[in-house]
Amino acid sequence: MATATVDLSDILKGVPSGAWVAISEMQHRVVAYGVDPQAVLKESRKEGEEYPLIVRVPDQNSAMFL
Amino acid sequence: MATVVYPYVGIPLPPNDPYPQGTTAYRPLVVATIKTFNGESIRWLVLPDSGADACLFPLALAIILKIDVLNLPKSITSGVGNGANLTYYDRVFIDLGNGIAFTSFVGFTQGMDKVGLGLLGQAGFFEYYNVEFMYSKRTFTIKTI
Repeated sequence: MATATVDLSDILKGVPSGAWVAISEMQHRVVAYGVDPQAVLKESRKEGEEYPLIVRVPDQNSAMFL
Repeated sequence: MATVVYPYVGIPLPPNDPYPQGTTAYRPLVVATIKTFNGESIRWLVLPDSGADACLFPLALAIILKIDVLNLPKSITSGVGNGANLTYYDRVFIDLGNGIAFTSFVGFTQGMDKVGLGLLGQAGFFEYYNVEFMYSKRTFTIKTI
């Protein structure tokens, strides 16, 4: 299956660090963002985006070790 | 049997001392649809993590999915954020697309809220699938065992 690297940097440009974000189903634009993921989802659905992708913008530039 | 190649996803990281312009971390992430047995569903980023004993998600996700965590079995998880995190377990359906879909007994913990991602760990994911990471090509492959 052909793939290309997906980069969310452009899409998330301007969104504050640490924010929860609703990205449209086609993943081309931010529909809503904020500090409360439930409120972000609610706002997205109000905007007509029923099934957005919910992500959190990193709030610090630290390597992630899980 | 399914074999699916996924792209790495670039995540922007804010500026700090060593990277004053900020940087991009490329991570093996998949957009998953997480479904509960009460009919709720959400699209969420998940990361195959062979270092995780089990699948682990932010507590915020459980709240969005209207899961009544206070009535779930719970235990302590270490290694995420603080030393010990109360973790609530429930069974959910996880669909990664292209025929990669499974039911898993997963943990929800506040320790993952800061990260925001779901982890697909040994129990509940790697027991069903083999994963090959090819960072140089920025792709990874998930294959049914």
